[in-house]
Amino acid sequence: MSILELNDLSYSYDGIHPILKDITYTFEQGKVYAIVGKSGAGKTTLLSLLSGLTEPTSGTILFQDKDITTIDRYHYRSKYVGVVFQGFNLLPQMTAVENVELSMDISGMKIKNRCEVAMDLLDKVELDEAKANRRVLKLSGGEQQRVAIARALSYNPDILLADEPTGNLDGETQDAVMNIFLRLAREENKCVIIVTHSPEVAHQADIVYELKSVKSAKCADLSSLQ
Amino acid sequence: MSAPERRDENMYIVRNALRNIARSKGRNVLVGIIVLVIAISSCVALSIRQAASKVESQSLDNLKITGQISVNRESLFQNTQNATSSGSTSSADIRSKLSSLQGPTLDELKTYASAPSVSSFYYNISSTVNASNNSFEPVNISSSQNSSNSSASASTQDRQNARGGKEMSGNIPEGMGTQGNFSLTAYSDESAMTNFQENSSSITDGSMIDLTAADNTCLISDELASLNNLSVGNTITITNPNNDGETYTLTITGIYNNSNTESTNTMMQFSTSSDPANLIIISTGTMNNIVAQSTSVAKTSTNQDTGVTSTTALRTKTSGTYVFNDVSAYESFQNEVKDMGLSDDYSVFSTDLNNYEQSLVPLKNLSKFAGIFLLIVLLVGGVVLIVLNIFNIHERKYEVGVLTAIGMKKGKVALQFVTELFTVTLVSIIIGTAVGAAVSLPVTNSLLASQVASQQTQSSRVEQNFGRGRQQAGASVNAASEGTMASPSDFSGQTGKAVTNYISSVQSATDMTVVVELLGIGVLLTLISSLVAVIFILRYEPLKILTNRT
Repeated sequence: MSILELNDLSYSYDGIHPILKDITYTFEQGKVYAIVGKSGAGKTTLLSLLSGLTEPTSGTILFQDKDITTIDRYHYRSKYVGVVFQGFNLLPQMTAVENVELSMDISGMKIKNRCEVAMDLLDKVELDEAKANRRVLKLSGGEQQRVAIARALSYNPDILLADEPTGNLDGETQDAVMNIFLRLAREENKCVIIVTHSPEVAHQADIVYELKSVKSAKCADLSSLQ
Repeated sequence: MSAPERRDENMYIVRNALRNIARSKGRNVLVGIIVLVIAISSCVALSIRQAASKVESQSLDNLKITGQISVNRESLFQNTQNATSSGSTSSADIRSKLSSLQGPTLDELKTYASAPSVSSFYYNISSTVNASNNSFEPVNISSSQNSSNSSASASTQDRQNARGGKEMSGNIPEGMGTQGNFSLTAYSDESAMTNFQENSSSITDGSMIDLTAADNTCLISDELASLNNLSVGNTITITNPNNDGETYTLTITGIYNNSNTESTNTMMQFSTSSDPANLIIISTGTMNNIVAQSTSVAKTSTNQDTGVTSTTALRTKTSGTYVFNDVSAYESFQNEVKDMGLSDDYSVFSTDLNNYEQSLVPLKNLSKFAGIFLLIVLLVGGVVLIVLNIFNIHERKYEVGVLTAIGMKKGKVALQFVTELFTVTLVSIIIGTAVGAAVSLPVTNSLLASQVASQQTQSSRVEQNFGRGRQQAGASVNAASEGTMASPSDFSGQTGKAVTNYISSVQSATDMTVVVELLGIGVLLTLISSLVAVIFILRYEPLKILTNRT
């Protein structure tokens, strides 16, 4: 059953020149999706649309068969979709664990041991306690990316959106992160959507959507990327 | 979701706000200092205003008001001038009217005393007389020498004659009679003898006269007695200033001391009769007898040119005093007498109320300045806080973008920012109130003292230049401690001598009202300055903020 559906989706910043045009994709739970395309093809824009940060110029985005323009998008973002932004978008004055805890608070999660859960999540992305209690500003790019992933997972969302999640990671950590995503899809029935330039990442995805500049995107099979 | 659950769920906003305050110390200390300055200034200004209003209401509660009815010259001149311009009245008519209006008669005064607002009524009848054949001399304080020095008596007498004696009669309007050297006053009862009531006068020898008996007895001042070697049991003979042949003999039954006479020493005296030392107190019965005799032997004449009729009968002035329980009764009385038929040529006035208002002038001025100061502080402080908040919110734009991007509603983001500002403001207001409360009393009293000093300098300059007080003739100015109200210290028969006791200190300044007002100011400042922040937050789109940053 599809959790997200894009029907004839188009988007334009200025109303004249479309970035995305007539896109029809379906996303299901329990699968990892990779969205690939050249720079300027509108990958990040598509991610913004999927996360409810902006509205399509035309067409619809259905979340559990409901048009997301008709639902409370703050609620949608804080509860059902976790986003790992390309620029991480962490709060630099807070520690890693505070960033994770804050998103748990915003989602309205009712757990007593928030700090422990946050620490566990950071541990899973290989950030030890010392780094977890360090201000984000004092962490490296790769470490910040891991905090961003931990934050996106903190409230156990149905959908995980990631914009170049492995961009700043070395090969080994990249595999570890991808394993987390795959495990989330396989074991926890999440829908994982990854925007990536990396053929390795795309290769591990179940389904790859290729975005072409101002052209209708079409489903490509894995062999075309190899 | 139930209300407690929602409250628990939103507790993170407060937690986050408090953490943010601790994280951004520099910014919050700056905001705190600005609010602290506003709080201290506002606390002092509000305390001054509160003290002024408290003193005003307390003084008013304790004030027993007395009022008098007198000729309203302004209205009289206005009416006669209007009539003259329309050609219906000649200047002779104006003179005639002016001379005929000597004040309401005793019967009229007693009629108005029946007004419901009047608590009690007393009156005095006064006149001026001369000593028969200069058998005794008046105290003349215009002399540079001590009036009790008998060696100066000859020259004093000369001056006195030149100033207030018969020679002056030529300058007095026709029909007004001649001014004598002594004041002769009869009081209706003891309450009318305000100086004795207020302990500024007291019998030092002999006894008080019977105020109702017509026994030709009198009281004289110790200064007059000393100057003329008079003592209890002696007699004095007085004459009508308009008719030397008309003499009356009075027996001295008592000698009194008036401690207020010293206050008149610096003033220019046009007649020795206006000196309290030259006041001869008699009973109303004695006064009625004298007036009746004088009227019976009086000669009348009419000036052919002006048509004004004059008489040699002893001229008297009746002055009635109405006592009111409070200011509202006094104000009601003003309307009641109009309804009872008091002409527009007369008006009701109260020296007490006038003095009371005078005493509050420095405090009211200070309160007014404090109000303006408060307004400026709040305006400038408010603008500074708004500007600071705009910079603050611009600086934290990214934070707003991130919080809204991860699903925090804009309203909650705004609430977090307002909570931060409110907490800093509240802490500063509390510290500011404590500091303000500590300094407000000395500051208020110090400012009040300089206000009083400035008021006194102004009054004394006017007095020096004009030979009289600014507000009323012969008023002298003294500073008094808190709650001391001005009171007319004159004998009612005499005119325009009163002391203005300015309220020059207050005992308390900051109270709960001020604290509540300060908290109100804190809430208001937070709301106004954070309103700008809220507007900015509501306008921000997370995607735009994050895209721009990326």
